[in-house]
Amino acid sequence: MPSLTVVHSEWIKMRSLRSMVGSLVAMPLLTVGLSALVCFFVKPAKIESPDFDPLELSFYGLTFGQVAAISFGTLVFSQEFHHSGLRVWLSAVPRRGVLYGSKMAMTGSVVLAVGLLSGFTTLLLGQALIGEAGIGITDTGALRAAVGSGIYLALMALFAAGLTALLRSGVAVLGVLIPFLLLVPFIFTDLASGVGKYLPNRAGQLLAQQDPQGPIGPWAGLGVTALWVGAAVLAGWFAISRRDA
Amino acid sequence: MSIIEIRGLTKDYSKTRAVDELTFDVHPGRVTGFLGPNGAGKSTTMRLVLGLDRPTAGSATIDGRPFASSETPQRQVGALLDPQAPHGGRTARNHLLALAVSNGLPASRVGQMLEQTGIAAAGNQRVRSFSLGMRQRLGIAAALLGDPAVLLLDEPTNGLDPEGVNWLREMLREFARQGRTVLVSSHLMSETAVTVDHLVILGRGRLLVDQPMREFIDSRSTPRVRVRSTEPGRLRTELAARGFVVDDAGDGDHQTLTVEGAKADVIGGIAAQEGIPLLELADQQVSLERAYLDLTADEAEFTAGSPIAGSRA
Repeated sequence: MPSLTVVHSEWIKMRSLRSMVGSLVAMPLLTVGLSALVCFFVKPAKIESPDFDPLELSFYGLTFGQVAAISFGTLVFSQEFHHSGLRVWLSAVPRRGVLYGSKMAMTGSVVLAVGLLSGFTTLLLGQALIGEAGIGITDTGALRAAVGSGIYLALMALFAAGLTALLRSGVAVLGVLIPFLLLVPFIFTDLASGVGKYLPNRAGQLLAQQDPQGPIGPWAGLGVTALWVGAAVLAGWFAISRRDA
Repeated sequence: MSIIEIRGLTKDYSKTRAVDELTFDVHPGRVTGFLGPNGAGKSTTMRLVLGLDRPTAGSATIDGRPFASSETPQRQVGALLDPQAPHGGRTARNHLLALAVSNGLPASRVGQMLEQTGIAAAGNQRVRSFSLGMRQRLGIAAALLGDPAVLLLDEPTNGLDPEGVNWLREMLREFARQGRTVLVSSHLMSETAVTVDHLVILGRGRLLVDQPMREFIDSRSTPRVRVRSTEPGRLRTELAARGFVVDDAGDGDHQTLTVEGAKADVIGGIAAQEGIPLLELADQQVSLERAYLDLTADEAEFTAGSPIAGSRA
């Protein structure tokens, strides 16, 4: 149950912390910057291969942009667990559902806005750099990838926020989540088929492929991510509503 | 006019009982001092009143409702629990602004409170750079933002400079005069003595005292008179003859005596009757600190002799 005044208050809290603004700025920088580099330098080698996917190439940075989104989501709560800071805010907004809902609403909407910006920029810049082999915004999957990647980043931020509220530690969440999301897919490549397809990041990132293969489609994949996020946000709410602050 | 009602309030943390069946009221129109040794349960009680911690049993309400459901929290209660709580990376101004906005208060309150608490010059500094005293002032500014009917302050004088302590005392007195409710904990007995009207004292989570301060001090004082005379020898003889126990006050001048179990008017009468000139004559009252220490010593003696629940585990 977010309230507009408390969402506004959370916005002020967010913009007045360097670490939070920093992770927010890092999101488009990583997403767009790394994608552009890859599109520019890797393109000539890849373009000849039969499974060349110009769309996937221009969303290469999404994997790293999500780290910024996760950091942002984590900070939303980890800043409060320092020195029992949450008590200050619960003394001002004692209805916990209002505070929790407003924090999540701020997180989701801010990351969605920045994520959409990142998504469209990385698509247009990436395809421009790929050049002749690139696709336009009206081609298959292009619009879906741009919009979907924004939603995806917002979901990952909420995922991290929910987990941090549950575990009460930003270090724990970052320590578990980032290796899990970044390393596991590289180490266990066979996971990519089978169960691995249903991990929040694997499922969600399908939408950055022009023609994803497998048991689920790109939007269904994003739906799978949303289910994971829903579970994390509920678990976080469970912890916040029950525990002593 | 708001009243805090605490009924059978109990809070267990794993094996220890922090608050044990507390029942008392905090009334408007006076400053209530909240005393007790470290670990007596004062801070826990305040957190329970604010709904930050969930009670194991019992209830704490403000105007008959739990604060956790308040629709206008900052207008209802201003609280200072831990001066370290504000995030060090935020400026004082932004900290207060976010608080004010969360309750729909005008942003102008922020500047006013920074001025009133004397930290306006540091308003744009990050809280990380603040001294303990400045953090206390920021905490008090936050508590005052909503111009609340109830103030709950946990050791607000910690780290405050004498000027700040003085200002805080006047502010609390004025708050009470306006018919608001003030609950303030402190370890500074001399300061508490001149600030509060009513005392609530805890020991090991239980209620020891809930009475007006004057009454508490009187109940723990035996009458004693301090008297200084140019003829202490003759005065001593006359008083002893009337059955009074007279001691040298130990001021080193051998002119000052203390008389146990007597009132100043009686001693003055005797001196006048005997034509003994007096330089000084006063009823001696026990200080709040003495009375408090006596109480807690009694309590320690009482509890030391009895088995403590769970200590054999």
